[in-house]
Amino acid sequence: MIFNIYIFDNHGTFLFYSEYKRLKKADMSYSEEGKLMYGLLYSLKSMCQKLSLTDSSGTFNCYRTNKYKLNYFETPSGLWFVINTDVNAIGMRELIQQLYQQVYVEYVVKNPECERGKPVESALFKQEVDEFLRRAPQFR
Amino acid sequence: MNSVNSTSQNSPETIVFDLLYSQLPRYFSESMQLDLNAKVSKLEQIGFETGYRLVERLTRDTPRFKSDLDVVKFICKEFWSVLFKKQVDNLRTNHQGVYVLQDSKFRFLSSMSASSQYMASTPCYLAFPCGLIRGALSNLGITSVVTAEVTDLPSCKFQIQAQAA
Repeated sequence: MIFNIYIFDNHGTFLFYSEYKRLKKADMSYSEEGKLMYGLLYSLKSMCQKLSLTDSSGTFNCYRTNKYKLNYFETPSGLWFVINTDVNAIGMRELIQQLYQQVYVEYVVKNPECERGKPVESALFKQEVDEFLRRAPQFR
Repeated sequence: MNSVNSTSQNSPETIVFDLLYSQLPRYFSESMQLDLNAKVSKLEQIGFETGYRLVERLTRDTPRFKSDLDVVKFICKEFWSVLFKKQVDNLRTNHQGVYVLQDSKFRFLSSMSASSQYMASTPCYLAFPCGLIRGALSNLGITSVVTAEVTDLPSCKFQIQAQAA
């Protein structure tokens, strides 16, 4: 089950948010929630790097509570994709990578009206993200 | 989404052209302070020169055309395939020099919008292709006026009005 998706850019700008099966709403605004999420990921990332037992590893991929799993994917250009799913979802890394390649590059990067560093307002992008995630086997 | 199609459209050669093309209107609006008409006519002029030269290269293996309609058919098939990776979906003519080319999924607009969002900025993005077509026709012996019309993104119509020689 896919609950929601966040996208951030390399300066921490909250680019995009969409939700599907989110039962509990946070009692704060979306922008505030975005900042909180960004801070959390930032801390987790640096913690994983610092406490890593070997030199090459230490990248943060996901965390799991007893109710949900947060899947994290970072592109070389510094875009952060976060998708919350149920605890048993697998293959999320590949899914997010496909989402990035087939939807983000196609409908944001190639859309001249989407300015860099600004939240994505394209209706077509939102529609394509929704369709892509609904088609995914993890969506259910 | 057709994955085979989208990978071929994402090859490095085509994406460079796509991105360059999409930055042109922005460049004119930011650095030159032109009004919409001046901007559109500048973009059209660039398209004209490009189309005029491009057609020399594209017609090198083609025999001479018998009529204006043949020329327009060439534009719909070969010329469109090279530039936009597909053929024109529908060609209509009144046999008096007016041709309407309809592309139901115009490549440059297909990643922008599928609703009326961004409709206001479409003239800037269509000026260059209009110029391309006019330039190509001009080098093939047809003086014309080419206009584009969008009613329903990403579908768009190009109207060619050929002038009597």
